[in-house]
Amino acid sequence: MATSGRTARPRVAVAKFASCDGCQLTLLDLEDELLEIVSRFDIVEFPEATSRRSPGPYDIVFVEGSVSAPEHIDQIKELRKQARILITIGACATAGGIQALRNWADHDAYRAAVYAHPEWIESLAKATPIAEHVKVDGELRGCPIDPGQLTELLTAVLVGRRPQIRDEAVCRECKRKGIVCLVVARGEACMGPVTTSGCNALCPSYDRGCYGCFGPRANANAKSWSTGLLRSGRPPEEVRRLFAGFTGYAEPFRSVITELGETKG
Amino acid sequence: MITTPAPSHAAAARQWFLARADLDALIAGLRDSGRRVIGPTIREDAIVYDEIQSAADLPAGWHDEQSAGRYRLERRTDEQVFGYTVGPTSWKRFTFPPNLPIASAHRTGSFGFEQPTPDAPPVAFVGVRACEIAALEIQDRVFLGGQFTDEDFRARRASAFIVAVQCTTSSGTCFCTSMGTGPEVHGGYDILMTEIDGGFVVHAGSPEGAAIVAKLPTRRPSHAEAGAAVDRVESVRTQMGEPLPMAGIDERLKLQLDHPRWAVVADRCVECGNCTMACPTCFCTSVVEKSDMEGKRSTTDRQWDSCFDVAFAKVAGGDFRSRPRDRYRQWLTHKFSTWFDQFGSSGCVGCGRCITWCPVAIDVREELGVIAPPIAPVIRPVAVEPVAASPGSYSIARVAAVRPETEDTSTLTLTDVDPAFLAGRPGQFVMIALPAFPAVPISISRFRANGIDLTIRAVGPTSTALTNLHPGAKVGLRGPLGTFWPVEEAYGRHAVVVAGGVGLSPLHGLVDALVANHDRFESVSLFYGSRTPEDQLFRDDLDTWSASKAIDVAITVDRAGPEWKGRVGVVTGLFDMISWDCTKVTAFVVGPERMMQASVQGLISKGVPADRICVSMERHMECGIGLCGHCQMAGRFVCKDGPVFRLNELGDLFNREGI
Repeated sequence: MATSGRTARPRVAVAKFASCDGCQLTLLDLEDELLEIVSRFDIVEFPEATSRRSPGPYDIVFVEGSVSAPEHIDQIKELRKQARILITIGACATAGGIQALRNWADHDAYRAAVYAHPEWIESLAKATPIAEHVKVDGELRGCPIDPGQLTELLTAVLVGRRPQIRDEAVCRECKRKGIVCLVVARGEACMGPVTTSGCNALCPSYDRGCYGCFGPRANANAKSWSTGLLRSGRPPEEVRRLFAGFTGYAEPFRSVITELGETKG
Repeated sequence: MITTPAPSHAAAARQWFLARADLDALIAGLRDSGRRVIGPTIREDAIVYDEIQSAADLPAGWHDEQSAGRYRLERRTDEQVFGYTVGPTSWKRFTFPPNLPIASAHRTGSFGFEQPTPDAPPVAFVGVRACEIAALEIQDRVFLGGQFTDEDFRARRASAFIVAVQCTTSSGTCFCTSMGTGPEVHGGYDILMTEIDGGFVVHAGSPEGAAIVAKLPTRRPSHAEAGAAVDRVESVRTQMGEPLPMAGIDERLKLQLDHPRWAVVADRCVECGNCTMACPTCFCTSVVEKSDMEGKRSTTDRQWDSCFDVAFAKVAGGDFRSRPRDRYRQWLTHKFSTWFDQFGSSGCVGCGRCITWCPVAIDVREELGVIAPPIAPVIRPVAVEPVAASPGSYSIARVAAVRPETEDTSTLTLTDVDPAFLAGRPGQFVMIALPAFPAVPISISRFRANGIDLTIRAVGPTSTALTNLHPGAKVGLRGPLGTFWPVEEAYGRHAVVVAGGVGLSPLHGLVDALVANHDRFESVSLFYGSRTPEDQLFRDDLDTWSASKAIDVAITVDRAGPEWKGRVGVVTGLFDMISWDCTKVTAFVVGPERMMQASVQGLISKGVPADRICVSMERHMECGIGLCGHCQMAGRFVCKDGPVFRLNELGDLFNREGI
């Protein structure tokens, strides 16, 4: 078996770029599994949990955050060299995140509007997903990531199989759970039909449309869905804003946003 | 409970009137009989089916307005309890649950697979409409009417007491009259109710139903009440207007597989799969394997899946339905056409859920009208002896030897196998599983006196884990499954085996049988092509066969180094060696799909009759017994109708893209 011959615990590092740390915290939030995880994985680098530092190479590196500042580019390239398996976690790392909204805007004007001393701020004009810079071996979507998917990924690495992370519409999770469609029964806006599953239909379970934080699924027909939303009488600005949430920089959401007009700063 | 319709003249004599104020006596009576009661109730701005405690939970005074992509609840002007049509839930949620544990496995000390015993406590469904009874009966044919039966479904269906309700209104997406399933309920119930002013005309359709009705505070209905009940249902027929012309829709659709509209509708379709989830007859599922971190204990859950899923028809080498138009065509043609081939009726009951719950408002009535201008379902019973089956029931076998064949392919010899496998036939396959790994289909490459060989290419996690096993390891097996090579039909003829790459694996057992009985055939030959000499399987056996007088062997490779002294070129190039009367050839062909298409074309151009060419098809499989829906190829389930097909059975499906 793939598990046989394992002599040492895999060395795991958790690294972050431009992000809020919420995805890393998901690992710490796995309270029931945490003891078993630390007994099976050697978590050597995890600034959110410990101040202990440990250089690479690592068996697995979890990367949170988008490439948003000039120094990030060299850092991610170096990290890639140290990583046998590199997994991106969360909407920022996989799609650019909410900070990628600036990709459609005037970067300097934003900087001047937000910071008292914009000249002190060094940032790139665009926030980009990790995969635009280095090869990525796997990704966990979401804002934040789903604890169940994280456990499944860790289990799959240990057992030696492909993680069973499905790519289907959020609608499918709603239907299996028996949630009534908010779009059809109430006319609410929802990104479920074009967004990949994994959250177990979290927002619709709480009576809200999907925000698309898991990003587009492989065969997302974003064009038809944006057309459908427009046809239901929503103004283009509202439809653009729906697509431009957490994962707007990921295609095909990106094309819909670009087509519907520039972000108004 | 499945009941038969009562003769209508006798029915009138056994009708009762139950006042609306006394409806709770029915719910209480059902609960007192030990049944959980599931019925219509308002939740999340819709009428859903859920557990109800009393008649107060029912949607009295509400109606549903429905059109393509839109559903709204509205107040009625009266207090009718069942004055709506059908909502987002269908009864399949309770007879065929969206998530169902089907197996667990372990290898802690011992090694084994367990399957849960179906657990179906008594339940009563209240408010089942005519189209919904038709849907339950369609799923009866899917799960209980074929070669393999689903015992969990059988238990749930048998434990369900059906209180049917006649429709007294219709919505904009209803089309039961077009599908011949309504509006009148004709059977399949324990109690039937028709709502009129002030109450219900009630009739029992089974002894269990009569026992419940007998305890209700009823009286005989007046003539006017009995008449009103008939008129109410008749008025629904009028409301729905002219039925769509559905006669011959199955054959009509088969002629329109290349219609340009498929691409147009696929551009609109968002492939969310909501139509398939809302549909009361759709039955496709996938399995989800969950394990502990050591991979020593695992559980397998079956989940509702959809043919709109991108991974639904994928195999290691690619995707059989890679374009959205392929997937939309699969859904629509399955519902209205190939379902007849598989189960003897339409897969659609005209409930309209797929229209209402489509977020982009695609209306199948409109699509059918454009693609194949639109039959009442004709039941063509399929006579087969059912086998109670469960995709969770495995027998254990032991790995006796592991032999590497190529860089990524190994042959496992399994012993201590269930005797059923020894009685298998060349061409059949098994579903093989390990705890924590989803089961995969693998052809039996060889039958031995005390076991079988499986030749496995490491392309995914399960196949990789299998090829990494060591002698002594245990595996779980289901089978043998599927159709086999019709060896006897080649007696007295030239038996020609054409293999490409790993395609030799499902043919190895056949070659063994041909060689062992070679004097029964005019001649026996094997044409084998692979990419390189290193990609050849069974090299020792190829040497043995080449030296044997019982079989002529011709081998070619696409490319090779200078050390290769044999032929180079595609396998069809070897056909030049054929000097016999090709009308007397029976051919057996397996390889990558394009290689099979070229080989079949080569054989036909030489005069081999199409009904004498057998092929083995590959598709994505999860259950192996025609219940999960993944392997469908138009009207065929490749797992149970195949994998071995005669070419003439497949017709133009063989060369068609996206099926």
